Amino acid sequence: MIPEIGHLLLIGALAVTFIGGCLPFYEFFSKKYYSQSYLRPFSVLTALLVAGSLTCLIYSFLVDDFSVAYVATNSNTLLPDYYKFAATWGAHEGSLVLWILCLSLWLVGYMFSKRNVNDSFSSITFAIMNQVIFAFILFTLFTSNPFERLLPFSPLEGGDLNPSLQDFAFTIHPPLLYMGYSGLALPFSLAIAAMITNNIDSLWARSARPWSLLSCAFLTLGIGLGSWWAYYELGWGGWWFWDPVENAAFVPWLISIALFHSLIATERRGVFKNWSLLLSILSFAASLLGTFLVRSGVLTSVHAFALDPERGLFILGICSYFIFGALLIYSLKNTRTQSESTYSLTSIEFGFLLNNLLLVVLAISIMFGTIFPLLYEAYTNGDQVSVGPPYFNVLILPFAIGLGFLQGVGLFLGWSDTKDFKFITRLIIETLTVLIVINIILYFLFGSFNTGSLVACLLFSWIVSGNFLDIVINKRPLNKIKSFLSFRLGAIFAHLGIAFLVLGIGVVSSYSSEKELLLSVGESYDLDGYVFEFQNLSSEKGPNYIADVASLKIDENTRTIALSSEKRSYLSANQVTTEVGIVADLFKDYYVALGENIEGDTWSFRLQVKPFVRWIWFGALLIAIGTFISSIKLLRKET
Amino acid sequence: MHPLRKQRIYAIVTVLLGAIAALVLVMSALSKNMNLFYSPSELVSSNVAPGSVVRAGGMVASGSIQKSTDSLEVIFLITDFQNSLSVTYNGILPDLFSEDAGVVVKGFLKEDGTFLAQEVLAKHDENYMPPEVAKMLNKIE
Repeated sequence: MIPEIGHLLLIGALAVTFIGGCLPFYEFFSKKYYSQSYLRPFSVLTALLVAGSLTCLIYSFLVDDFSVAYVATNSNTLLPDYYKFAATWGAHEGSLVLWILCLSLWLVGYMFSKRNVNDSFSSITFAIMNQVIFAFILFTLFTSNPFERLLPFSPLEGGDLNPSLQDFAFTIHPPLLYMGYSGLALPFSLAIAAMITNNIDSLWARSARPWSLLSCAFLTLGIGLGSWWAYYELGWGGWWFWDPVENAAFVPWLISIALFHSLIATERRGVFKNWSLLLSILSFAASLLGTFLVRSGVLTSVHAFALDPERGLFILGICSYFIFGALLIYSLKNTRTQSESTYSLTSIEFGFLLNNLLLVVLAISIMFGTIFPLLYEAYTNGDQVSVGPPYFNVLILPFAIGLGFLQGVGLFLGWSDTKDFKFITRLIIETLTVLIVINIILYFLFGSFNTGSLVACLLFSWIVSGNFLDIVINKRPLNKIKSFLSFRLGAIFAHLGIAFLVLGIGVVSSYSSEKELLLSVGESYDLDGYVFEFQNLSSEKGPNYIADVASLKIDENTRTIALSSEKRSYLSANQVTTEVGIVADLFKDYYVALGENIEGDTWSFRLQVKPFVRWIWFGALLIAIGTFISSIKLLRKET
Repeated sequence: MHPLRKQRIYAIVTVLLGAIAALVLVMSALSKNMNLFYSPSELVSSNVAPGSVVRAGGMVASGSIQKSTDSLEVIFLITDFQNSLSVTYNGILPDLFSEDAGVVVKGFLKEDGTFLAQEVLAKHDENYMPPEVAKMLNKIE
């Protein structure tokens, strides 16, 4: 009964969004303005219907209703309640419902962030959002219905949630990521509405800014959590694999950053209007393309969603409707959008132009590397090829250097032209000072000096000088520093986040140590000065698995650290997973993955020391905080 | 020159230079990092140069896994049911590696015709078949 209610609620939302997607257009084109007071109630109604539907699905998971096919494949009675709850979005069908909920929450957020919505711009935005939600509900109901029953022969016991997904980070990673992905629908809708109602002005740019920032904040958190999860769950010690699914999230992230920078210039100076419009469309296109790549199974990836070409075709249909529709509107828009001001080569506008160029070209190059195997296969009639991680690593370096350089000087540039270049000398002196200090610290921490991290250290020093140090040193007195910091708080946080991220990446890639080897109980191994000793092995029993637990002792100069690493066998899926043992402090992680039993008490191990790896996620967190702060400030000013 | 036109020229020249530089970078990075995929039969018959990094895939032949007891060395056969290829790997295998399962390895052919794997690719789902292997097996049928 409950699943049927969930199904009906979703159909109800389909009906509401159908009306919501058409009615404002009818009003707009017939010039009959009825009261637009239905916009807010409709958006709330949609959100409630979808939330109700998701609740029904969650309920079916919690009560182990295996007559629902989706529950039967993705959960079982042994699964702890907490993971039953999270299993709701553990696979394709349920995650789509979550996605739709995110979309409708964005709509509610937008509708209530404005003082009044009685204008055609708001109502067309509302209509476009409704069309997006409608399309996704249609897709869910027709190709991926999570409420489908297995009647009359429903199984007594379910399959299982993939064991590697039974994990805390996984339970919140998808909601955050989907919030980010789906949030890009809002700047898209705003851009379309601006074109249709002929409002391509600074007010439009102003209203799109907070939403592009918020999407970026959620994407950052989602991607960061995903990276952290991959680090401790997959047992390889890597934190980024250039997997197609990672790229599918990384590309919209890059474009959303380009978008909110470009929107600043459009709002403040009336430049880059066409470009901002195109970026709004492109960011949503990237988010849709990401969905398509992940869910249609056209690409080889570690993320194995249930694959189905019919779904791929359906998503391709949705993509073409929105993207080609948007581009058509773009080409038909009846006014020539004129730049309202001019700028020189040393203006902040030109800085934004370079920033956008770098971000978008990088995004396109990454996307190209991701889909290249598909193009190659089509072109050579079936030959298969893969593009290795080195492609992306080689590619990203010059872009990172360019973007890092811009971030260092960004806050000093002026609109239209920069008058005063004295800051350059100061920046160089500060940067060199920080650089020397950092390298002395690194030398003391690791007892050696590695030139591989030099570029990262340089970028770190440059960004920190330009976004923090110079402000503190040169903007005395204190109250002036305070007002500047609070004015630029979001940008400073986000840029410093990038600095920490870059430093983390640089240090972890040049100072890490790793060794795969065999150890018997009692044996020890000296990994670059850290002595790992395998002390004993025991068996443990969890709620739905049994585990071999290896205890290790690590001798540092001054202290010893205990660490345990597990190999789990899950009972229902008959699947083995590695639970990595990690002990972390500020500067490094000890990372031990248990391999397999070779004979007797001899096991294989992967031992790693990963310095500064946490700084990567700390950086990501700062970026998220910075973008949150900026968007909240913009939203509060609006009301 | 009119300042707006000047501004447009700045923008266009920057974009063009950026795009060209990116294109060169993409092409050179791609040409060095493309790994072609071969089935065991293709590796046996075609003249893939020993030492060049490629990927190979197939099913792990049942009973073919030999593990050393004093090192991490593992030797196994991957097969497409017509030919098979002996693969040597020094390292910890992924959790889902097993007999009769599909696998993709990255590495190179040695002079003696066996394959030295640098990487054994893992997928985190037990029912999952690497798409390359699935396509390869389909082609044979």
